[in-house]
Amino acid sequence: MDGFSWIVLSPIKQEIFLSLVGMLLLLVGAFRGKTSVGFIVTAVVVAACGAIAGILSGDWTPIDTLSGMLIVDGFSEWMKVLILSGIVVSLLLSVSWLRENNLLKFEYPILVLFSGVGMLFMVSANNLLSLYVSLELSSLCLYVLAAINRDHLLSSEAGLKYFILGALSSGLLLFGISLVYGYSGTLSYVGISSFLETAESMPYGIMVGMIFMLAGLAFKISAVPFHMWTPDVYHGAPTPVTALFAIVPKVAAFGLIIRLLVGPFAMLAQESAQIIMVISVGSMLVGAFAGLVQNNIKRLLAYSSIANMGYAMLGLLPNVPEGIAGTIIYLTIYMVMVAGVFGILMSLKRNGQSIETISDFAGLSKTSPFMAYAMTALLFSMSGIPPMAGFFGKFFVFQAAIAGGYMVVAVIGVLTSVVAAYYYLRLIKVMFFDESAGNVDENTSLSRHFVTVGALVFVLIFTLLPNHLLQRAIEAATSLFS
Amino acid sequence: MIGVLAFYAFAVVLIVSSLLVITARNPVHSVLFLILAFFNAAGLFVLLGAEFVAMILVIVYVGAVAVLFLFVVMMLDIDFSKLRNGAKQFAPLGGFVGLALLAELIMLYQVWPNPPPLLEPDVLDVDNTKALGNVLYTQYVFPFQVSGLILLVAMIGAIVLTLRTRGGVLRQRVGAQVERSEADSVEIQNVSVGTGVSNV
Amino acid sequence: MILGYIAVFAPLVAFLLAGILGRKCGDKFSQFVTCTAVLMAAAASVQLFFTVILGSNPHTLPVMTWISSGNFNVDWALRVDQLSVIMMCVINIVSSCVHIYSIGYMSHDESKSRFMAYLSLFTFAMLMLVSADNILQLFFGWEGVGLASYLLIGFWYHKDSATAASIKAFVVNRVGDLGLLLGIFTTFIVFGTIQFDGIFNAVTDHTADRFDFFGYQIHALTLICVLLFVGAVGKSAQLGLHTWLPDAMEGPTPVSALIHAATMVTAGVFLVSRFSPVFEYAPDALMIVCVFGAFTAFVAATIGMTQFDIKRVIAYSTMSQLGYMFFALGVSAYSAAMFHLVTHAFFKALLFLGAGSVIHAMSDEQDMRKMGGIWKKIPVTYAMMWIGSLALAGVPFFAGYYSKDLILESDWASDSPVGHFAYYMGIAAALMTAFYSWRLIIMTFHGKPRADHHTMDHVHESPLVMIVPLLVLAVGAIFSGSVLYGGFAGIPHQKTVESKATEIDEIESEMKEATQDQMEHIIKSESADAIHETVWNKEAFFGKSIVVLPEHDSVAKAHHVEKWVKLLPTIVGAVGIFLAYLAYMFIPSIPAAMVRIFKPLHILFFRKWFFDELYHIVFVKTAAALGTFLWKRGDGQVIDGLGPNGVAALSQKVSTVLSKFQTGFVFQYAFMMMIGLMVLVTWVAHAMGLFDLIPQFLNMR
Repeated sequence: MDGFSWIVLSPIKQEIFLSLVGMLLLLVGAFRGKTSVGFIVTAVVVAACGAIAGILSGDWTPIDTLSGMLIVDGFSEWMKVLILSGIVVSLLLSVSWLRENNLLKFEYPILVLFSGVGMLFMVSANNLLSLYVSLELSSLCLYVLAAINRDHLLSSEAGLKYFILGALSSGLLLFGISLVYGYSGTLSYVGISSFLETAESMPYGIMVGMIFMLAGLAFKISAVPFHMWTPDVYHGAPTPVTALFAIVPKVAAFGLIIRLLVGPFAMLAQESAQIIMVISVGSMLVGAFAGLVQNNIKRLLAYSSIANMGYAMLGLLPNVPEGIAGTIIYLTIYMVMVAGVFGILMSLKRNGQSIETISDFAGLSKTSPFMAYAMTALLFSMSGIPPMAGFFGKFFVFQAAIAGGYMVVAVIGVLTSVVAAYYYLRLIKVMFFDESAGNVDENTSLSRHFVTVGALVFVLIFTLLPNHLLQRAIEAATSLFS
Repeated sequence: MIGVLAFYAFAVVLIVSSLLVITARNPVHSVLFLILAFFNAAGLFVLLGAEFVAMILVIVYVGAVAVLFLFVVMMLDIDFSKLRNGAKQFAPLGGFVGLALLAELIMLYQVWPNPPPLLEPDVLDVDNTKALGNVLYTQYVFPFQVSGLILLVAMIGAIVLTLRTRGGVLRQRVGAQVERSEADSVEIQNVSVGTGVSNV
Repeated sequence: MILGYIAVFAPLVAFLLAGILGRKCGDKFSQFVTCTAVLMAAAASVQLFFTVILGSNPHTLPVMTWISSGNFNVDWALRVDQLSVIMMCVINIVSSCVHIYSIGYMSHDESKSRFMAYLSLFTFAMLMLVSADNILQLFFGWEGVGLASYLLIGFWYHKDSATAASIKAFVVNRVGDLGLLLGIFTTFIVFGTIQFDGIFNAVTDHTADRFDFFGYQIHALTLICVLLFVGAVGKSAQLGLHTWLPDAMEGPTPVSALIHAATMVTAGVFLVSRFSPVFEYAPDALMIVCVFGAFTAFVAATIGMTQFDIKRVIAYSTMSQLGYMFFALGVSAYSAAMFHLVTHAFFKALLFLGAGSVIHAMSDEQDMRKMGGIWKKIPVTYAMMWIGSLALAGVPFFAGYYSKDLILESDWASDSPVGHFAYYMGIAAALMTAFYSWRLIIMTFHGKPRADHHTMDHVHESPLVMIVPLLVLAVGAIFSGSVLYGGFAGIPHQKTVESKATEIDEIESEMKEATQDQMEHIIKSESADAIHETVWNKEAFFGKSIVVLPEHDSVAKAHHVEKWVKLLPTIVGAVGIFLAYLAYMFIPSIPAAMVRIFKPLHILFFRKWFFDELYHIVFVKTAAALGTFLWKRGDGQVIDGLGPNGVAALSQKVSTVLSKFQTGFVFQYAFMMMIGLMVLVTWVAHAMGLFDLIPQFLNMR
């Protein structure tokens, strides 16, 4: 056994740093109470930014550590930057909203931070045990966050629903893990994959274990048929928490799934592709169709995210680096777009109430034209209209799916994206052509504007840099296969 | 031979009591059956030679968790039969789904003839507790530490969701008491005879 | 080198300046900028005439990379060779005249800037067309002139007839453009390139290529040529796609002069000449060109005799003259066609501008029946119209005489049935041309005034700014033929007249044995004998920009035709003029009598051979009916009903059903998850063949 030298811990120094910061800030909060909230938020944001800088400046030759519990490589680098940026962005978005709605508790940023740490571990997990504990760490924080508006009926209901169903999904995941462990005799990714490589006959036990595990994980990315919680939780949770849910955890869960599929279960690629295909097609269909009749913007975004997860999964079908690269680019773009949309959503108020329904957007182009145009650009991007970024995301995953021979799935994807375009365009129509239902207050918060404008710029100029980004993404994805 | 008999005894009682947990009409009975199930599970662990885990199960689950459940169930007045009514209409479909999954799992077991043999520790040689301790801080230090974080988060969550600061509660503030200076607390007044203190 | 750029891009600069700043800086500014630019371009192209043609220095000027996609590379470049320089000279000179003339003609109009900008745009597009280095660039110019033509025909957009005419011109031209596009595609398929050099150098390798088209074996080069010719038919208003040209007279008169007489309509002639290396290997296509040209020349002339609108008469005359050019092309007499193109540009622009001057004088009256007796009031215009008509009718020593005679002689000399057919049609058309030209002059200028007093009092000579361009063009109409004859016809006129029969036999026997190289040598040596400089023969004049196979060289043979062939066009011209005087001046009852006697024929001619009516029934009405059917039944009921609307309704239903699943009950959600899990396990087990193992397993037991 190796001792805890710096060599062992250095690959995960960002995570250790963030956990220590989190505990320290917890102490600060506990002693100083409400007065320290501003400081804590700032500290969390700064620490996360520091961690991003540390990750970007690091060397990402694949290395496993802590007895093979964790692995860091180019892929985890990409995902970690994504997760931490998501954390930072969601905090920037939420602070002033929470303050206005009297929800800002010092635990909020700390819980966000800890869930972030859990997610960072998730994308580095190299062992079923570390997979499970890191997943639980991040999920537990999210359960609490969903219910953080404890005096609000919808919010606590959302938290409870999320918690119960999450526990069920964890049960499925654990059952799958135990099946895999039982039939392969090991928990480590490397061990499982080498066991599968040398297996003499079809390893049905591990296969079913994998199905259970994927079912448990599909819950986390709200893929059909494990998506039922999503609209209710998105609707019930306070908007900043919804933004967090939409932006970050899915990316982390995707990282986990990708590593599972190309690592331990690489030999079961055919079977896993069948599962991914079913849930991807289901997600695209449900996300596109069920969104049509929604009137609440947050529910709409929930269905939109379900559909988007379906698209992102298309890239996983062929199990090749190009496909994975397509998926992670898709996730990156999706994250930015959603951040922008939530930035706008939280900036708008009508009669002192946050905008909730689609009809609240009526006539926005007249009352706050910048917001309306920014929203339009983002929605165009989400419906995949070139030259916005969203088009490229879809293009890459569809391309990967078609190259892998999944023509039918890709065609379904294109058709559902047409259906989904309806609800994005309807919002635009409401903003520009409907009679205004009264004044909309635009409350300005510098950080929120920063996020919105940043997302807008990214969406608009993405068309200039897709090749560069794709190259980086392929490098990241290739690191998984080495 | 005795071991095999004991295994089946524990196993049967475990399954039956688990079924009773979800079918019993009285919630208190449910919790009691749950405790019975825990005990039987602990018995199975003992049969495997994992006496430490068995003890932990009894102490933590029976001693703490189940008792907590019991308290909650007894204190909250929830009409479980009402809740069940909703579930009953789905019972046939639920039964079908459950049976189908079970059938598939059984089939799986049959099709996969030889699960690889697991490592069998020499029960008599190594002290159970010591063996756990050996790996807990070396090989499994990461899950162990993250579990610690999970517990921390659980604690934060519980506090965030439940702690309420009520107004009007009198508390002893030691710091304030110590900080008190003479100037704050004592005022010397020159009282003339017969007038008394007027401005208190 | 820079001359080429100036000649092409000066009008573009003028267009941009006038178009963008015109409103701000006023009409004077626009007029000044556009006229200066076009004059500069004209000067540059005249200079190019000396360096490129007389100095034998064809070259290509690069502009920029355009398309680079796979093995398909297209660059913008200016091909400044003899053919394009001739065109540039014509375009820029006529355009300058028209620009300056427009200052006077449009002086009462409100949007002068717009007009000048459009004129410059047209000039640029036309220059782009002729200086193209590949077919795509040519197509760019082709569409550009179409656009400018559309804008200018519909310039007075408040007039319904103008708008309708502009749309008609555009739509009819689209038919031709489709042919041209298909021709471009076919060219790319056959040659793998659309650069002119690449195509022309590779022609000999593809002479045997054939396409399999529904079982028919089609000669590839013939197909290309026919498709390109379809484009030319549209743009040059040949029979079939000609209906837009008379209607295009709705545009201002300077536009008619520039676009619908001198330049744009000759684009088809240019296109065929440019592709002479390909057409030479597609004799069937040439035959089609020849027949189309001959019919056009004849039919247009018959219509021209009966019309009363002064501009329409000239328009049909243009169509007829274009027919001449095409039947010259059809017998490989490319240089003759180009020659007629040049002379025609001068005298037809002159006629149009003269007509414009008349219309200007008559307070915008265009009907010849309401004119007459004004020749003393506008003597200069009268003289100009005479010069133009003399040139048009082919009266000796005017420009038209040389070019028209050369065409007719070439057709006869080609010794082919179609050539002889074209010759006779041409002679008939020449007779009619002379007739309707003088009919126009007499009706317009002589006799008793038929206009009201008010108009007659206002009749006045046009201002100087309109007269000067007329004078310039008149010089061209008189002298361009005699001066350029050597260059286009190859051998000096005088010499051929004197040449003896023995000499002809000698040369012909030599030609039969000669290879191409020797052939050039012979002709060079022959022309060296001539009085003129070496450049004044056809081969040196055109260099490699026009390719004629020795056995097709009808222009060379044209000098050796029988005497009556040469004299006949002049004689019929004189007869036509005489008849016109007879019918309209001396015995005015003749026309009415003729109309009575040949009533059906007159109606046929007067109603323009019923082309418009036919097209209206065959195309417009059927298209409208088909459109209505597809719209109401096809689109409205079938596609919308089952498609968008049906799908939308279905989507809403699906959506509502899906929302019903969202009950809000946790246990139902959990239940859904379990069902989903079961479905997944079953699906994968099924896909992996797990169920197939069950019987096997049962047997094992």
